[in-house]
Amino acid sequence: MNWRSIFAIVRRDLTVVARAKAVMIPLVVVPVILFVGLPLLVSFAIDAAGSDIEDLLPLIEALPERIRASLGDGSLLEQAQVYLLEYQFATFFLIVPLMVCSVIAADSFAGEKERKTLEALLYTPTTDRELYLAKLLGPWLAAITVTVASYGLYLVVCNVALAATIGRPVALTPLWVVVVLWLSPGMAALGLSVLVIVSARVRGFQEAYQVGGVLVLPIVALVAAQFAGLLFVDTAFAILLGSLTWAVAVAVMAVGFGRFRRERLLEQV
Amino acid sequence: MRGVTRRFGEVTALDRVDFQVEYGQVIGLLGHNGAGKTTTIRLLNGLLAPDEGEVRTMGLDPVADGAEVRRHTGVLTETPSLDDRMSGLEAMRFWAAMWGVPKDAVDRRVMELLERFRLTDRARDRIGGYSRGMRQRLALARTLLHDPPLLFLDEPTAALDPVAARGVRDMVRTLAAEDRRTVLICTHNLAEAQDLCDRVVILRRGRVLADGTTAELVGAASVPVALILEVEGEQVSEARRITETFGEVKRVDGGRIDLDGVTRERLPDLVAALVEAGVGIYRVAPEEPSLESAYLALYGEETEG
Repeated sequence: MNWRSIFAIVRRDLTVVARAKAVMIPLVVVPVILFVGLPLLVSFAIDAAGSDIEDLLPLIEALPERIRASLGDGSLLEQAQVYLLEYQFATFFLIVPLMVCSVIAADSFAGEKERKTLEALLYTPTTDRELYLAKLLGPWLAAITVTVASYGLYLVVCNVALAATIGRPVALTPLWVVVVLWLSPGMAALGLSVLVIVSARVRGFQEAYQVGGVLVLPIVALVAAQFAGLLFVDTAFAILLGSLTWAVAVAVMAVGFGRFRRERLLEQV
Repeated sequence: MRGVTRRFGEVTALDRVDFQVEYGQVIGLLGHNGAGKTTTIRLLNGLLAPDEGEVRTMGLDPVADGAEVRRHTGVLTETPSLDDRMSGLEAMRFWAAMWGVPKDAVDRRVMELLERFRLTDRARDRIGGYSRGMRQRLALARTLLHDPPLLFLDEPTAALDPVAARGVRDMVRTLAAEDRRTVLICTHNLAEAQDLCDRVVILRRGRVLADGTTAELVGAASVPVALILEVEGEQVSEARRITETFGEVKRVDGGRIDLDGVTRERLPDLVAALVEAGVGIYRVAPEEPSLESAYLALYGEETEG
């Protein structure tokens, strides 16, 4: 395996992405909205709700005992804040790695075809396997970086806004560690493995990006299911979901690798 | 290539193609759009596999040893295939890594080529701001980063202005003559092919239509040539009568007759007929037949396939 070539492609792809405003804007704006704007909004909205906060009581009461216990002995207001920021946002957080890898993979693969820069790459001595790995690695590393950075930002925002009220650090729990270091990388890998297959079939960035948007829908369904009380994503569930995600990602990658041939890519150059 | 056939679905891009390139030669691969030129380059570099036949590039099988073949070839693609968001310098460093140029030699090699292709002043500018000629020069510089002995140049002067095109042709000439590289050029520019190539292979609908030097192709195609004939002034009417049976008289001026459409093989017969008729001949000057005339004669009136 020629790691020099692989990392050269990774570095080149990420450099080129970083210089495209259309690609970079969602990568910066979405995490800021989701993990700065939204938690602040939720926090202020609950504070401002007054007696209406009792509307959340059925939601809190419906939680399994072990989850209720983890919300602490504070007021209903505090429990609601902890629940939303530590549990609901944890699933919401999975949107970040998927969004990042869809945008970057769409640009680095389908976008490369669109810009007609792929053919020269195919004439280099890189093997199909190295090319495939490089195209997966670049967006995956970017997704992990943005995910960890978003979590850092989220921690700061939550704790500046709420730690004093609640009396302990917010969102610094085993669930978040699992989400950030196990489930999110798995989600990114799964999204990427699907996108690389899709990107080889589409002609341009926009088309690949739209397909990438569809990948976020299961996460939205997960968030909705948790809001509706149909399931609760706790640490054990996150570990299980992460394992499942990684298993499917590896399987899809194996399929993708089997299909990843220069010849197929050339058909659309 | 020996008996190489390559199909794309129902379309046969190459059909039992045979040709060989000797070390150090400059070969032109000619043909209309869709004749199979780019497919040939892709097969020779292991980007495609043949359906039938055998391909060998520098003695290696490009299907089994594609990476090894590409380590020794440089390909200038039809479009320069450069990323507008990178600078020329960044792009060259990237491609140097891709071709395994030793790390400690990258900067020296990159700067040397940028200098050679007159791009040093703009090396740190984004490629998006380069002219077409500059892009083509950068793409050509890229093909030389790893010092390949075999070059494939697909339409090296397409879409360039005449001055830039001449610059690229000069560079190709240098690469072949001074650097002693084997070069395969795909081009629609027949004058360029005649100027640069030792030999040309003409493809038509995936088959080899002709293979040889310009002189050989002209001979094979029985290309009609234009001819200037100067005879004794008083005998010009007799000379005209005879020449009209060999070709089309375009102009008569004193003892000079401009004739068109005489095939090369019939020139001796024309001269013999004039001598036999007692016409005094001062000059017979056939125009040097061009590759273009041979190409058109071989291809006929057929348009793009």
